Amino acid sequence: MRIEVLLFGPERDAAGVDRVRVEIDGEPTCAALRAALGTGTPALLPVLRSARFAVNGRFADDAHRIGAGDEVALIGMVSGG
Amino acid sequence: MTTTVTISDGALAVGEARPCDGAGAWVSFEGIVRGDEAGRPISALVYETYEPMAQRVLTSLGEELASRHGLLAVHVEHSRGRVAVGGCSFRLSIASAHRKEALAAMDEFIDRMKRDAPIWKRPQWAVTPMSA
Repeated sequence: MRIEVLLFGPERDAAGVDRVRVEIDGEPTCAALRAALGTGTPALLPVLRSARFAVNGRFADDAHRIGAGDEVALIGMVSGG
Repeated sequence: MTTTVTISDGALAVGEARPCDGAGAWVSFEGIVRGDEAGRPISALVYETYEPMAQRVLTSLGEELASRHGLLAVHVEHSRGRVAVGGCSFRLSIASAHRKEALAAMDEFIDRMKRDAPIWKRPQWAVTPMSA
């Protein structure tokens, strides 16, 4: 399954783009996406371990299964306030 | 109980929210853009938000804390875009019957916002004149 991942802040700067497309073979979980992102976009490797995914605007754990058409975002360290 | 969240462009204007009926405490915190980041002078901070998730996270946090601490009202305002040094980028106003619950909720809200709300800031470095 092909998944588009939105990037913000430091992660967007590191990757140089505001979204990346990732191809997942097998079960499209957040854990699989994390692994695939590290392979496809090595610039994100330093933050991938600690970053979280949001699926349709809600934080999702590694076991979460991503569905077709879901909006997926990589949320690294935030800095509001 | 009322929770409002407003995310708007640029620096926040002077707050207009006022304590509601029944409030014995009204605690308001404003975050101001400091003139430096890690000792290096800046001219502004530029805030980026992932909406509507940011709105949802802040609303949910306000509602949770209001319920747990028995608050009467929580008003959250946050900037997006550029806020010059000295400008207000964040305001949290809490009304409660007594001060203790408002003060406790204030601290917890800010800690959790800084952990969970998808908002990022980027410094605009101050341009310093080149020495002759």
